[in-house]
Amino acid sequence: MGTGARWRRHATVALSLAAGAAVWEVSALFTTRAFWAPLSETLQSLAEAARSGTLASQAASSLELYATGLALAMVVGAPLGLLMARMRRVRVALETYIMMLYATPMVALIPFILSMMGFGFAPKVLVVFLFSVFPVLYNTVEGARSIRPELIEVARAFRSSERQLWRDVLIPYTLPFAMTGIRQAIARGLVGMVAAEFFLSPSGLGQMIMLGSQNFDTAGLLAAILVIVVLGVALMDFGRWIEERFAPWKEYTR
Amino acid sequence: MSIQEVALGKAALRHAGRSRSALDSPVFLKLLAGLALLLVWEGVVRALAPAYVAKPTGIVKVLVRVTGDPQFLAAAGSTLSSVFAGLAVAVVLGTAVGLAMGRVAPVEQGLRYYVNSLFATPMIAILPLVTLWFGYNADARLAVVIFASFFSIAINVCDGARSVPVAYLEVARSFRARPWSTLFDIVLPSSLPYLIAGLRLASGRALVAAVVAEFFISIPGLGYFILFNSRTFKHNEAFVAVIALVIVGVSLEALLNWVTRRYLPWARRD
Repeated sequence: MGTGARWRRHATVALSLAAGAAVWEVSALFTTRAFWAPLSETLQSLAEAARSGTLASQAASSLELYATGLALAMVVGAPLGLLMARMRRVRVALETYIMMLYATPMVALIPFILSMMGFGFAPKVLVVFLFSVFPVLYNTVEGARSIRPELIEVARAFRSSERQLWRDVLIPYTLPFAMTGIRQAIARGLVGMVAAEFFLSPSGLGQMIMLGSQNFDTAGLLAAILVIVVLGVALMDFGRWIEERFAPWKEYTR
Repeated sequence: MSIQEVALGKAALRHAGRSRSALDSPVFLKLLAGLALLLVWEGVVRALAPAYVAKPTGIVKVLVRVTGDPQFLAAAGSTLSSVFAGLAVAVVLGTAVGLAMGRVAPVEQGLRYYVNSLFATPMIAILPLVTLWFGYNADARLAVVIFASFFSIAINVCDGARSVPVAYLEVARSFRARPWSTLFDIVLPSSLPYLIAGLRLASGRALVAAVVAEFFISIPGLGYFILFNSRTFKHNEAFVAVIALVIVGVSLEALLNWVTRRYLPWARRD
């Protein structure tokens, strides 16, 4: 791409962002504050929340929940999936059920979790965990399935030890799939986090959104949504980065 | 030697020295595992949980009554029609926007940041805003379903439209094809596998969106059915609705896989 084309590209992007900001600001003139707030007020509200420290404390509370649930999902999902690369019968027996749970909308379980575990940190972590563990497990098992039996037979024929088999065949073959799963889990876990903060005990960024909506503080509501949008974009980029970093030989698929 | 004989020979070699057992049959293994999972669930609930918690025997007992209940059927119909209507709107709008983004560079540069960031945003976050706009009714649910599914379709169709082989477009140009026929006869068909991939992602998201919206807005539907029954400690009844959601989720996935295999055999993943 030539310099001219690149400049034109940057200019278009800058123009589109400016246009978006202008539309956001101007559209507020034509609606009441109950529906929409201009960008300037939203940013003011955000600055106010940042100054008073609520933003930092709420974001920290959300991230603590998110990180705990996601870490548990990875610690449970990836090793279980890897184990199924080695134990073919266990994989064949369980893969249909894992696929079903992967396709299940986990939000549907929130009311059960609420009435069994009540309010607190643990039930919310469970929600984030349930949202994110099945993508990791499902994709890792897909990876396990992609290992052709011939590869293991050849490794055996060359008398490779159990450790070598894991290091040279099983892990390299399943890792890219596990990374795809972790990327999906990063996105789904965020949905789980907001859902848990909405429907279990209100906390964190979810609570900020709820409070904004209940108090008809549309600027505060939009500010909290904006924070979640930025968080979502950052996490998705991070997920894509780790997928490429740890499994560069696999083609990127959504 | 025919191919079949070679294949048979290979299988025979693999099994040489190992007696064939029932454990080699995938169906048997799956049934065994399913039974084991149900037994564990039943046992754990009986031993540790209060009586109201859902367990397989309890669910079986209420299954017939709940699935025959007009209220349950109405709830299922309401959720499903909202999901399908939302997906239909998202497919039409998402394909249009995706094609425009994929083929017209300024459109792509202008919309990319918005589409990508809203794709990355959990749609639950905008739920309170949507209820401010539409009120606490079924329109808000439909809006959330559309919002949840639109962006994954637009992004995938855009990727598809961008990866149309240049040779096809060059042939079209040498035959002086009109822009519309290039779009509908070349770009759209070759983006179809991407559209289906986007739709697969979108259908899962749409289902989650519908359930979450029903929790939040309290309008009749499977999500509200679950909420209502679990609040009154009828977990077995509530779980029937979860099973219905699993069936819908799995069948949508299976349907899209089947469509890909049947009509787009060149785009198979496996």
